[in-house]
Amino acid sequence: MIEARDVSVAIGGKGIVANVDFDIRPGEIAAIVGPNGSGKTTFLRALSGDLAYSGEVTINGRDLSVMKPVEAAMLRAVLPQATTLSFPFTVREIVRLGLLGGRSGALPGEDERLPERALARVDLDGFAGRFYQELSGGEQQRVQLARVLCQVWAPVLDGKPRYLFLDEPVSSLDIKHQLIIMNIARDFARRGGGVVAILHDLNLTAMYADRIFVMHRGRLAATGSPQDVLSDDLIEKVFDCRLRVGVLPAGDMPFVLPQSAA
Amino acid sequence: MVDQSIAGAGAMAAASDGDRSGRARIVILLLCLGLAVAVLLSLTSGASDASAVSVVGDWLLGAAPGNEALSARDRLIVYDIRLPRVILGVLIGAALAVSGAVMQGLFRNPLADPGLIGVSAGSSLGAVAVIVLGATVLAPVTSVLGTLALPLAAFCGGLATTLVLYQVATRHGRTSVATMLLAGIALAALAMALTGILIFMADDRQLRDLTFWQLGSLAGATWQKIGSVGPVIVLALAAMPFLARGLNALALGEATAGHLGIPVQRLKYTAIVGVSAAVGASIAVSGIGFVGIVVPHLLRLAIGPDNRYLLPASALLGACLLLLADAVARTIVAPAELPIGIVTAIAGAPFFLWILLRKRGVVDL
Repeated sequence: MIEARDVSVAIGGKGIVANVDFDIRPGEIAAIVGPNGSGKTTFLRALSGDLAYSGEVTINGRDLSVMKPVEAAMLRAVLPQATTLSFPFTVREIVRLGLLGGRSGALPGEDERLPERALARVDLDGFAGRFYQELSGGEQQRVQLARVLCQVWAPVLDGKPRYLFLDEPVSSLDIKHQLIIMNIARDFARRGGGVVAILHDLNLTAMYADRIFVMHRGRLAATGSPQDVLSDDLIEKVFDCRLRVGVLPAGDMPFVLPQSAA
Repeated sequence: MVDQSIAGAGAMAAASDGDRSGRARIVILLLCLGLAVAVLLSLTSGASDASAVSVVGDWLLGAAPGNEALSARDRLIVYDIRLPRVILGVLIGAALAVSGAVMQGLFRNPLADPGLIGVSAGSSLGAVAVIVLGATVLAPVTSVLGTLALPLAAFCGGLATTLVLYQVATRHGRTSVATMLLAGIALAALAMALTGILIFMADDRQLRDLTFWQLGSLAGATWQKIGSVGPVIVLALAAMPFLARGLNALALGEATAGHLGIPVQRLKYTAIVGVSAAVGASIAVSGIGFVGIVVPHLLRLAIGPDNRYLLPASALLGACLLLLADAVARTIVAPAELPIGIVTAIAGAPFFLWILLRKRGVVDL
C-alpha cells in the first residue's frame, strides 16, 4: 500500500499542497478530484518522486524519499497529462520505452510482444508502425497509457502490489475510450494492483472510484466512498457551483451517463 | 494450411511494425563498410602513387620478411603522414557527430548543435587562452600539462558554456528552443569578445600560431597530436553508448524519464561532460561546424531516433563525411589546401536551412 502522511509541497517558496494525508490499498482505485489549481497534479508529482515534499510517503512500507529511480520504477508507473515529442519515434518505439527500467512482470520471453498487446488493450491495434507525432491528442494519450501498462504489466510482482498513477487519463478521450481506459484501471486494481487517478468527470469518478480524495486550495476537503463524499454541500463548497447530486434534468432534456454503458 | 501460413506471416509483419532496429543494423553495417573504403581511399590518394592494393598488401604482410608491397618512401608517407591524418579525421568526425546527437537528445531538440549554440565558441576561448597566455599567466599550468593543455582548456571552455546554457534554457525539465538558441548567441558573442581581447594581446609569433590553429585543417596531424586529443575523444565516445537508453527515455521529458527508472541528473551531467570533452578535443585541432547537426539528422530520416543505433551510426557517418570533406579540402585547390571547416560549412549551412524549411511550423520555438 501507499501511505502519505502530512505531505506538504512548496514550489518557489509558495505552498501548493498542505498537510495531505492519503493512502491507497491494493485492489482500489483512488480518485483525486478538485477544481483547477487545487494542487492535485502537484500532489501526484510529489507522490511520483518529482517534487521535494515535507512529511512522509511510503510505498509498500518503503520510504519514497530514499528510493532510487529504478526502484520506484519497479513499483509504479506514471501517466502524465500530455507528452509531446521532438523526434519522429514510431508508436511501437514509444510503447517499448515502458520496458526500459523496470520489470514488466510478464512471463520470460513475452516482453518483445508486450507493446502490441498493450496497444490492443487501449484500442490502438495496428498503430505500432505509425508516427507518434502524427496522431491525435487522444490517440497519443492512449499510446502513453500503453507504455505505462508495459512498465507494470503484472499488477503484482514478487507478491507485492504495484501502482498506476494516472493524471487526467481520460481528459482528451471520447466517451468510448474513456470507458475502455477506466475499465483497464479497474481490471488492474481487481488483479491486485492499486490505481491513483486524477479525474474531472464526477460521474466517471462515482462509477469507478473506490475512494475519493477531494482537494481544495491545496488541502484535503473530504475523503471517503463516492456515496459519502459526493454531496450537494461539498460540491458547492469545493467547486463553487450550486449543483445537486442525483437530480434528473427537467422535462425532455436528454442526458447521457457513463453508468448506462451496457 | 495455406490460410494459417498467411495469417502467420501477417502476425509476423505486425510484430515488427514500427520496429526499425533491423534496418538500423543494416545501415550501421553499410556505414562500417563505407568507413573502411573511405579510410583506404584517404590512405592511398595523394601525390605518392601507393595504390590501395599495395597498402592492403603491406598491412597484411606486416613485418613478414620479404614484404616489398610498399617502398620505404611510400611506407613513410602512408604511415607517418597519411595515417595520422586519417585517424584524426575519423576521431574528430565521430566526436562531432556523436556530440551533436547526444546534445540533441539532451536538449530534446533536433536543432541543438555544439557549433550553433556557443559550445564551440567556449571551447575556442579556452584554446586561444592557452595559445596566448600559455607562456606567461598560464605557464605553471601549461608546463605541467604539456600538449594536453590545449585540449583540456578547450574542454573546460566547452563545459562551462554548456552548463550555463543548460541552466538558462531549461525550466522544469522543458528546454525552450528559442531561449537555447538566443542564449547560445549571447554566450558565443561573449566568448568571441573575450577571444578577441586575447588575440589583441597576442604577439606576432602567437598570432601566427593562432592563425594556423583557426584555419585548422587535418594537415598538421601527427602521432603526437593524436596522442594528446585521441584519448579524450576515445574516452568520451566510449561513454556515449551508456547514455543511449537514457536519452531515449529523455525524449518523453525529464520527469517521465525518471518515472521509467532513469537517473536523470547523472545522465545529464555525463552527457554534458562527454560532449564538452569531445567537442573541446576536436576544437583543439580545428573548428569544424555542422557535422553535429547534419549527420544525426540524415540518420534519423533513415533509421529513426533510437539512440542505441543513432549514436554508433552517427560516429561512423561523421567519420566518413569528415574524411570526404578532408579529401575535398586537400584536392580542390591543390597543391594548396582549404581549411576543412570551410568545406563543412559550405556543404552544411544550406543543409541546415533546408532542415528549417522542412520543419517550419513543426519546430516549436
